[in-house]
Amino acid sequence: MNLPLLESDLVYMPVVLRGSVSPAEALVQIQGEPRTLIPTRPLEEGEQYRFHFDMKKCIGCKCCVVACNEQNGNPAAINWRRVGEVEGGYYPQAQRYHLSMGCNHCVEPSCLIGCPVEAYTKDTRTGVVLHSADACIGCQYCTWNCSYGVPQYNAERGVVGKCDMCHNRLDDGAAPACVNACPEGAIQIEIVNIAEWRKDYLSANAPGLPSADDSISTTRVTLPDNLLPDTGRVDTHRVPLEHPHWPLVFVLVLTQLSVGAFAVLWLLDSLTPGSDLFLSALASLGLASIALGAAPLHLGRPAFAWRALKGIRRSWLSREVAALSVFAGVAGGFAGMLFLDLPGRPLAGFLTLLSGAVGVLCSAKLYMVPARPSWNTRYTLAEFFSTALLLGSLFVHVMSPEQAWVGWAAAAGGAAQLLTQTLKFLTMSQSETFELRASSLLLSGIVRRHFLIRMGVLVAAIVLPLTTTSVALSAATLTLAIAGEILGRWLFFVSVVPKNIAAAFTTGGRAA
Amino acid sequence: MSLSQLLGFDTLQKDYAFDRSASTGYTSAKKIPEKWVATTCGYCSVGCGIELGVKEGKAIATRPLASHPVNRGKLCPKGLSEHYIIDAENRLKHPMLRKNGKLVRVTWEEALTTLVEKFRATQTKYGADSLGVLSTGQLVTEEFYTLGKLIQLGFGTKNYDGNTTLCMASAVSGYKTSFGSDGPPGAYEDMEKADVVFLIGANIADNHPILCQCIEANPHKTVIVADPRVSKTAMMADLFLPLKPRTDLALLHGMAHILIAHNMVNREYVDAHTNGFDAMVEFLKDYTPEKVSEITGLSQELIYKTAFLYGRAKAGFIGWTMGVNHSTQGTATVNAINNLALLTGQIGRAGASPLSITGQCNAMGTRETGFTSGLPGYRKFDSPSDRAELAALWNVDEARFPAKRGLAYPDIVEATVANKIKALWIIATNPLVSFPNQDTLRQGLSNLDFLVVQDGYHPTPTTEYADLVLPAAIWGEKEGTYTNTERRVSKVNKAVEPIGEARSDFNIFLDVAEKLGCREELYPRWTTVEDAFNEWRKVSEGRLCDYSGISYDLLAEKGAVQWPFTEGASLETSRLYADGKFEFADRRAKLVCEAWQPFPEQPSAGYPLILNTGRTVEHWHTRTKTKEVPILERLSPVAWLEMNPRDAKLAGLRSHDPVDVVSRRGRVKGVELRLTEIVAPGQVFMPFHFFETNVNEVTQGAFDPISREPNYKQCAVRIERTGATK
Repeated sequence: MNLPLLESDLVYMPVVLRGSVSPAEALVQIQGEPRTLIPTRPLEEGEQYRFHFDMKKCIGCKCCVVACNEQNGNPAAINWRRVGEVEGGYYPQAQRYHLSMGCNHCVEPSCLIGCPVEAYTKDTRTGVVLHSADACIGCQYCTWNCSYGVPQYNAERGVVGKCDMCHNRLDDGAAPACVNACPEGAIQIEIVNIAEWRKDYLSANAPGLPSADDSISTTRVTLPDNLLPDTGRVDTHRVPLEHPHWPLVFVLVLTQLSVGAFAVLWLLDSLTPGSDLFLSALASLGLASIALGAAPLHLGRPAFAWRALKGIRRSWLSREVAALSVFAGVAGGFAGMLFLDLPGRPLAGFLTLLSGAVGVLCSAKLYMVPARPSWNTRYTLAEFFSTALLLGSLFVHVMSPEQAWVGWAAAAGGAAQLLTQTLKFLTMSQSETFELRASSLLLSGIVRRHFLIRMGVLVAAIVLPLTTTSVALSAATLTLAIAGEILGRWLFFVSVVPKNIAAAFTTGGRAA
Repeated sequence: MSLSQLLGFDTLQKDYAFDRSASTGYTSAKKIPEKWVATTCGYCSVGCGIELGVKEGKAIATRPLASHPVNRGKLCPKGLSEHYIIDAENRLKHPMLRKNGKLVRVTWEEALTTLVEKFRATQTKYGADSLGVLSTGQLVTEEFYTLGKLIQLGFGTKNYDGNTTLCMASAVSGYKTSFGSDGPPGAYEDMEKADVVFLIGANIADNHPILCQCIEANPHKTVIVADPRVSKTAMMADLFLPLKPRTDLALLHGMAHILIAHNMVNREYVDAHTNGFDAMVEFLKDYTPEKVSEITGLSQELIYKTAFLYGRAKAGFIGWTMGVNHSTQGTATVNAINNLALLTGQIGRAGASPLSITGQCNAMGTRETGFTSGLPGYRKFDSPSDRAELAALWNVDEARFPAKRGLAYPDIVEATVANKIKALWIIATNPLVSFPNQDTLRQGLSNLDFLVVQDGYHPTPTTEYADLVLPAAIWGEKEGTYTNTERRVSKVNKAVEPIGEARSDFNIFLDVAEKLGCREELYPRWTTVEDAFNEWRKVSEGRLCDYSGISYDLLAEKGAVQWPFTEGASLETSRLYADGKFEFADRRAKLVCEAWQPFPEQPSAGYPLILNTGRTVEHWHTRTKTKEVPILERLSPVAWLEMNPRDAKLAGLRSHDPVDVVSRRGRVKGVELRLTEIVAPGQVFMPFHFFETNVNEVTQGAFDPISREPNYKQCAVRIERTGATK
């Protein structure tokens, strides 16, 4: 806002008649300022490429989005570059600015860290975070890990995809499609020194962007000098439900049931030797196996499910797969020992419990990612273990209704779950974090009835096991409780409000 | 989805493969064409050079034409996805005639015979002028020229107008009354060379985004934007004038008042080149800063600042679009803009011009060659010498030209309501979305004996009303020229064959002339559009819009050039009136003053809000084309209503609530509410592209007395929660 007219000019002095100005004099010469939108020198050690976005220059035309889709041959619903809106102020001192974002090619890419199949690499020379469609199995875990909603799942292909900074074009000396298309020169590729950026990456933050702390985004944003302090996102009034991931709902509930059941079976077997527990063990093993067998249905490329073990060094998803597989194996052994009435069962049962608990722990850790605030709490751990205790105990209770303590264990599981859900809801509704508050608003809003039913079922699951020894009633209680937990896990998935970049108002909520 | 895809063995690697080619670099393999065809974008009047990539006879990609002087290697999102409009689902592939109430496929022979028979029968029964024609700004110049002759000389009706009347007629009238002729005097380069860029009623960031780079490239600019809404363009301003709706004329008069009061008038220029200064001084006495501040809601300081910035500019540019034109005082407002330029001599120099940034890709073409508001070559209906000259050029009897223009667009619609026009031919426009106060239009159309709609797409809200629908080839399927806002003539080329049985509008006009029996008389030995262009060159020779030196060969060789362009003229950027000689008989411009009036329908207790209408960058006009482009629909899928949160709070409304917009004329149902501080309390804004929620159900049919342009931009409405009243 450098007005050539100063306030002092408003002392209205008569000005000289300007008839003498010749066209030549009046012509303002343009200084052709060379603008380099891509780096002109090679990268040095410790450096990488990054995007620079100038919010001052962006006029919100979305050329970058269209050009990106054309460059990458993506269908309209998938946008590796997106333009969001932020607003601030009061009319007429109101502002609406735009935010154009591709991938931030983070220093600590959470997509890469989470990937179970090592489909992601951070290019050692350019720092570009690359994704291999060949290696990808379509588990979509990266889409949960990224705080910016960058990786997007392409259902038609069964794999995710993301912005690769058009690094192949950069190598050829050509600008990325978005950079090339921008009529205002608002997008640029720069070189950044990674170590220095780690020390101070404040300019990776901007209104409408999640904190760069999650993964140290490398995108530098130039904000307008006059940006109003209340500038914020405009997409917060309508928060859509997330995808329910049905296969995962069943995988989680049934594996947790099985882990809980084996824990109870181990105790029963240890405390009251001679009980006929084999059928219970076989049934719960069966459920776990069905669940694990069904897990690949969640994948875009189920035939390649086996690859999920590759990332065990850093991915909780790989660890979950490993731990639950080990659990299934050990549990199978324990069941066999029950059938054959072999000695050493207390140890085998304990190992079953241990591997199962590790499995449930891995499941929970998998969901506890910064990009999904309502999952990223200890309530997730509590929820999963409560399910194990509630359903596992009820499951055994059906077959061994005479053991009162099993009923009490089930009630304790139900109570723990009720407490977990109540506290989680209250904490979220009081939170200063938008995504947490929004999650609680979904629970008390769009899915309120589901949430109330789920809580009601829990109350029943606490009371019923304590009042009955009838097999039929126990079985009914179990069925009810399983339904309740499935509903609960569905709520877990649909009510999470992920972090994301600010969306445009008209694109309807927070587009992936 | 195949089993192999379901299991994950097939990830459509081929579809998503990348490749390198010399012309594209590294890119999606399916977007690499066999050849690129250079042409000009078919959306707006910026007139960007564009290349269409063709593979196996289909348009599969677009890219900016690097050598084109206008767009400097850039395109807007519509241009970047323009190839999707050609082979779209909604394209009309064969003629359709209404039989027993239903549109059924017919042959071209039957369609053309029916058209001519029905039009002739109507004219025989009700008189020649009972046939009306509504055309467009979307055809190529050659087609406009051909159509003008067909309508005036072939059918002999003078009731012919274009949808350009809904768009830039006020600019035309304003230029004519100030300078003696239509013709935008400036050039885009002016935005780059001016030290003050004043945009009034022009949201170029949404509507002409490619022009923003001219401003971005200007290192010495002060940008002033006047708009009642904090538009994307307002965000580019150094000085933003949030004036009250439709007070632009008062602001401009107030600026002129200050220029005079503070001795910033270029007397030498005014004395040498204008008439009416003394009367103007007298007239402007009323427009004191105090009074103008009261009218506009702007502080006196802002008004002074604006006047001083413009008055002291070495080169001052004023650009405007529909905020000015869509007004019952549109012509007067354009006059007031021209007055500022004349008072300060800010015209005809680099950086200095009053430039109407026009709408459609070839609105200029129809203004120059058409038979609507003037005779071809900016000749005037009421000038005997102009009529005689044209009659001689065409070797026809002068008596075949009317001495005054026929009905303008809204008056044609009125005439259908009054049963005076009984047959109508609508070409490449969609009034069932775009005309204000749709009720009147529907009533008029229902009175017709015969309605022909010629379009590239079907169904559209308008083709659904038609008795006969003619399938036209569209952009990319035909050849010709477009002329843009800065008078630059660009070649339009054919990249692919017309879809189905579609024919170019040019060929349709020739075919109709053939049936009418006047083809040889009107179009002697014509076979191609180039024949039309070459005749037009002769007709334009010596006129302000002189095309005589422009040939297809020259355009192919040198690229787009600006008129006037005589044989051997220079390719440098040109401006009109550089010599201070205007198009009136005495070669002096007129300082035209018209008193400011409030807009016609003021808010009231029942309708307390002022509705403003406009566009969004993703869509074009009535969305006939852009609806077919998936990425544009993705980015802008539905209409919305912007309302200030303070107003919404009173009504208990929240963002995303579905609301109805209600005026005295009608109701738009179920619009998504967007609460935002970029609109003023007391005002609401809605885009006009969406037929599903058509804002023109409520806009007012009030028209500028001279230009006949509708006052789209302001009317009184109330907002109700959808379903609140039955």
